[in-house]
Amino acid sequence: MKTPFSKYLNNISIFLAILLLGFSSSCKQKSDPPAPEPSKISFHFTQYNQGLPLKFDTMKYVNEAGNHYLVNEIQYFISDVTLHFQDGSIQLLDGWKDIHYVDTDLPETQSWKVYDNIETGSVEKVSFTFGISEGKNNSLMFVNPPERDMFWPELLGGGYHYMKLNGKWLADDGVIKPYNFHLGIGQIYAGGLINPDSITGFLQNYFEVELPNSTFTVNDGDALDFEIRMNVENWFRNPNTYNHNTWGGDIMQKQEAMHLACENGKQDVFEFLKK
Amino acid sequence: MKLKKNNTISLSNSDRVLKPCQGSIALCALLFTFIALLTACTNKNPDPEPYTPTPYTIEIPYGFPTKLNIPDDNPMTVEGIALGRILFYDGRLNGRTHPDSLMSCATCHRQENSFEIGAPRPHPFGINGQPTHHAMLPMINLVWNMGNFGWNGSVPSIEADVLGVISDPSEFDSSPEKVVNTIKNIEGYPELFRKAFGTNEITINRIAKAIAQFVRTLISSNSRFDKYMHGEVQLTPEELRGFVLFTTEEGADCFHCHGGFGNPLFTTNKFYNNGKDSLFTDPADRFNITGDPMDKGAYKATTLRNIQLTGPYMNDGRFETLEEVIEFYSHDLINTPQIDPLMHHIANGGIQLTPPEKVDLMAFILTLRDDEFLNNPDFGKPEIPE
Repeated sequence: MKTPFSKYLNNISIFLAILLLGFSSSCKQKSDPPAPEPSKISFHFTQYNQGLPLKFDTMKYVNEAGNHYLVNEIQYFISDVTLHFQDGSIQLLDGWKDIHYVDTDLPETQSWKVYDNIETGSVEKVSFTFGISEGKNNSLMFVNPPERDMFWPELLGGGYHYMKLNGKWLADDGVIKPYNFHLGIGQIYAGGLINPDSITGFLQNYFEVELPNSTFTVNDGDALDFEIRMNVENWFRNPNTYNHNTWGGDIMQKQEAMHLACENGKQDVFEFLKK
Repeated sequence: MKLKKNNTISLSNSDRVLKPCQGSIALCALLFTFIALLTACTNKNPDPEPYTPTPYTIEIPYGFPTKLNIPDDNPMTVEGIALGRILFYDGRLNGRTHPDSLMSCATCHRQENSFEIGAPRPHPFGINGQPTHHAMLPMINLVWNMGNFGWNGSVPSIEADVLGVISDPSEFDSSPEKVVNTIKNIEGYPELFRKAFGTNEITINRIAKAIAQFVRTLISSNSRFDKYMHGEVQLTPEELRGFVLFTTEEGADCFHCHGGFGNPLFTTNKFYNNGKDSLFTDPADRFNITGDPMDKGAYKATTLRNIQLTGPYMNDGRFETLEEVIEFYSHDLINTPQIDPLMHHIANGGIQLTPPEKVDLMAFILTLRDDEFLNNPDFGKPEIPE
């Protein structure tokens, strides 16, 4: 049998229990807010010529040197894509992979959904390495196609082509000839004689591209889509006028030609566009 | 067990006690089991005992691709490969049993020639003497072909190739029904199929799958050049000079299409117009598959492994010897709008090798011969069921 006092105590206990439950529940809400959605970024790789999407296999283009030319295919690597934030911090996009291959014949290579979660903040610019830096350009690191087929012969420096841009041009003797605008590790030849026996050293031709107008803001949960556009004509234009008649159909063993091409590549070949 | 006075049965001190009616049920159950057993014993076609084939894993040689083309619906097994090897060599695979009409895969795909016919003729001939449309391709390292088999890439898989061969008038000129009927009536095969596929039912698809499993094991990775890559042997000065020519643009520039250190398959498995012709009339070139006018006259760059044994060369077998091939690439290329841009030496009519350079290049190409592969007993003719 319960006394009035014990009833009173019972009521107090129930009241305190409810109060405690409510208090603990409200504390939980305050200390453990829902996690923000991660921000993601995707890049889409396109090729343009004279402001329009590149048309392949048609001799409709004229470069700065006056060469009429066509493009058959382009294959290239970009690596170490980096976001530079206005507060001075940087984010290297290297989760899962830090080297991306683009092939104009393979649509699946023309978009890259980056694995990394993107940090929030104001991005001042985006940069990347065209090709593969010396420390990472190791032979046999890609054993599967399509990347495998970019291998650069060991005796010419090893690793992988930075780019193969293949096409044809109307040569000054009136004959249409193939050109292989291939970039990669250069060689130093003793006495200037292009003979593998006379190689005395190698030159790294990869370079950093700082994409112009690549400022944007990252907020929680953003799904950012950007286009990285290659303006093909600029490989042959600025600051060096590249003439196919001068350099001929192959340049893997012509460091001077690769050097000129890479200087052009640093300038305005690549463009950054928000989709 | 003892019978008690009240007709109950005691199984033991601790056993439960059955009542009389429960005893009847037990007797019925015993009778039912007996009848069931009797029925099973008189069944003429019992289900075969279940058999789980042993999974087979391909060991990937140094530098070779890690991506293999093994269909999900045809995993490799020890028993499947063994069956495929027997079928590969069984002359009754074309559905005929007369000694004059036997033809199997091995009739043309001979191990000593890198599973090519190797005869000095442009085309092999089928059971009826009709030549195939193209010259043969060697059956080697096909587990790394990702789905474009044949000179024009029209064949999507090894399995599809086997099925095509059976009906092709220039090959087996047979039919799936005829082949299945012949094979299933040979004693020994049903048991081999049971072990390979868990059932002794023989179908044309299982025949194709087994052969494909065997073909996927035909891996060449131990040529003299491979040993050089592994640091086991040194190449001769002549061979090294040839290797330099092979892998430099200023040399012969073979590597862009035929691989090298970075691509030990010695083929990209891609298609190129390599400057053989000025007119393209072959209805089975790459253009016939893609519809891209730039693919007219384009064919697969074949692997150069064991190439000295796989002549005659090119899709139409126009060159009898490797010397002729090197001569062609040196001086006889034909420039057309369809020529592949990688043939950048076309401006000079070819790579313009000097006679000593031709010798050097040949010396290197011969280092790609893999005698271990050519003599591997695992690939040879097995015992065939009578």
